[in-house]
Amino acid sequence: MPHRVLVVEDDLEIRETLVEVLEDFGVHALSACNGQEALETLRDATRRPCLILLDLMMPVMDGRAFREAQLKYPELREIPVVLLSAYADLEAISVKMGVKRVIHKPLRLHDLRSSVEEFCGPLAQA
Amino acid sequence: MVDSVKDYAIFMLDPDGRIATWNAGAEALKGYSAEEIIGLHMSRFYPPETLREGRPEKLLERARSQGRAEDEGWRVRKDGSRFWADVVLTALRDSQGKLVGYAKVTRDLTARRAAEEALRRSEERLRLMVDAVKDYAIFMLSPEGKVATWNAGAERIKGYRAEEVLGQSIETFYPEEERGTGKAARELEAAARDGRFEEEGWRVRKNGARFWANVILSAVRDSAGTLLGFTKITRDLTERRKLDQEQLRAAQADEAIRLRDEFLSIASHELRTPLTSLQLQLESVSERAEGLDGKLAARLERARHTAGRLSELIETLLDVSRISTGHFELKRERLDAVEICREVVDRLGEVAVSAKCPVTFVAEGPVVGEWDRLRLEQLLVNLLGNAFKYAGGTPVQVTVRKRGEQAEVEVKDQGPGIPESELSRVFGRFERASSRFHHGGLGLGLYVNRQIAEAHGGSIQGRNVPGVGAAFLITLPLTPGQGASGIMGPEATP
Repeated sequence: MPHRVLVVEDDLEIRETLVEVLEDFGVHALSACNGQEALETLRDATRRPCLILLDLMMPVMDGRAFREAQLKYPELREIPVVLLSAYADLEAISVKMGVKRVIHKPLRLHDLRSSVEEFCGPLAQA
Repeated sequence: MVDSVKDYAIFMLDPDGRIATWNAGAEALKGYSAEEIIGLHMSRFYPPETLREGRPEKLLERARSQGRAEDEGWRVRKDGSRFWADVVLTALRDSQGKLVGYAKVTRDLTARRAAEEALRRSEERLRLMVDAVKDYAIFMLSPEGKVATWNAGAERIKGYRAEEVLGQSIETFYPEEERGTGKAARELEAAARDGRFEEEGWRVRKNGARFWANVILSAVRDSAGTLLGFTKITRDLTERRKLDQEQLRAAQADEAIRLRDEFLSIASHELRTPLTSLQLQLESVSERAEGLDGKLAARLERARHTAGRLSELIETLLDVSRISTGHFELKRERLDAVEICREVVDRLGEVAVSAKCPVTFVAEGPVVGEWDRLRLEQLLVNLLGNAFKYAGGTPVQVTVRKRGEQAEVEVKDQGPGIPESELSRVFGRFERASSRFHHGGLGLGLYVNRQIAEAHGGSIQGRNVPGVGAAFLITLPLTPGQGASGIMGPEATP
């Protein structure tokens, strides 16, 4: 069974790129373009992802609001989240949101790979 | 009938001017009863100053010779109080024409005179006030628009004296291009029609200078509605207008700067998003391309390199944007500048090789201080980047040393140097000394460097080493002290 990762990112190109890169890693990637859609995807998913890659600034429901909502659902709260953002003080934000890891934009391939490995386990192709 | 008239004193005098009859009106007006006054001379009613000039006799004489004499003047009552009287004296003659006496009718005009006097005084006060007003030109125009009165303010504002301008058309005060266009006539028409006309516009002084005027024209009509003319009040707003325009220009300039900074911020953020995806794709594809055709791999590598440069430029733009909006703060930590700088030199090794710039690193012991790691790296990356760009093919020396409570980082090249005329400008926002060379770059690196150095409480200087090349010296205090704002921004720049 491949690892499952949920990508929550509003920018279409970045979202699709992330999905493609993750598929290259041999990961099964789900995607959502805002927090609201992410919650729906999680609710409908037959198997929970081992990691959520979460953008901060998004329309409809942003990263913070998603995280708050996520922590209210006992079945979702344990899914680890990694923040993706260009914010300079991303570390401070992540502490407030109870998130353990951040990836600064512009994204680097190895940051992505090591994040997946940290939370989901070794990658088949890595 | 005469006896009962109360509003007029009507009585007879004998030919010598002595009182012969007396009526109720005379008693009411003058205070004497008939018994008291009959037989006395009429001069009794005159105040001393008129007696001295022989007024009663003159009046009698005039009535005698002309048949009638009328006079207005002060008279005295029995109690000594005065009243303003209108007196008509008529000579009475018998059928032979012999003078038999005079009829005298006296009316009390004190109240009317007081009202007239009050009006006269009020008009006088108003005239004096208008005359004295200096800040406003206040004057009257005839119905045809000719100047009829002139005040001190008009003289001050327009420069004409009254005698020069009375009778002149108001067109005199209009700029040349508006004379003869009917503008003045239209304005008078509007004032006549609506009662009032107001405008702001250019007017001309006697010396030809223009001034920005507020003009109010009001129609003046009598009780029957006939147009008597206009009052014109002109204020000189030139100074105020100048001030308003300066404020407006300043506000527009501030707004332009704000918009530019906002645009810079939005543009650099917007540019970064697609670039993120592009870089990730290139990185991912080149990983998978390993083992493929060597030429393809090299081209992919070049694309990655180009995207990297684009990314650096955008990061610089973002820095400039943060600086201009005051949104950048240093994250200080305890660091060894020697270690950081050595790492940067190592990291740029490949770039140095392709620029054919052998880099020598000179340092004695560790130089420890509290700085922002990424910004310290950026300082040296920018300086080395410049050296590789402008002094390609020559050796570059990086020196890190401690001098007192300061760390010094110096980058010396052996290139063409900085043109002297440009030395003072290279740290400005959009300056680049070497535009004649065909090098890329936005010229923002040194500007960002200066902001970083100053935010640390330090400085950056550029100079030419005669016969050698350019040298840039960064000085940073070891610990944050006075003068270190910790914030990069326009306010940190003198």
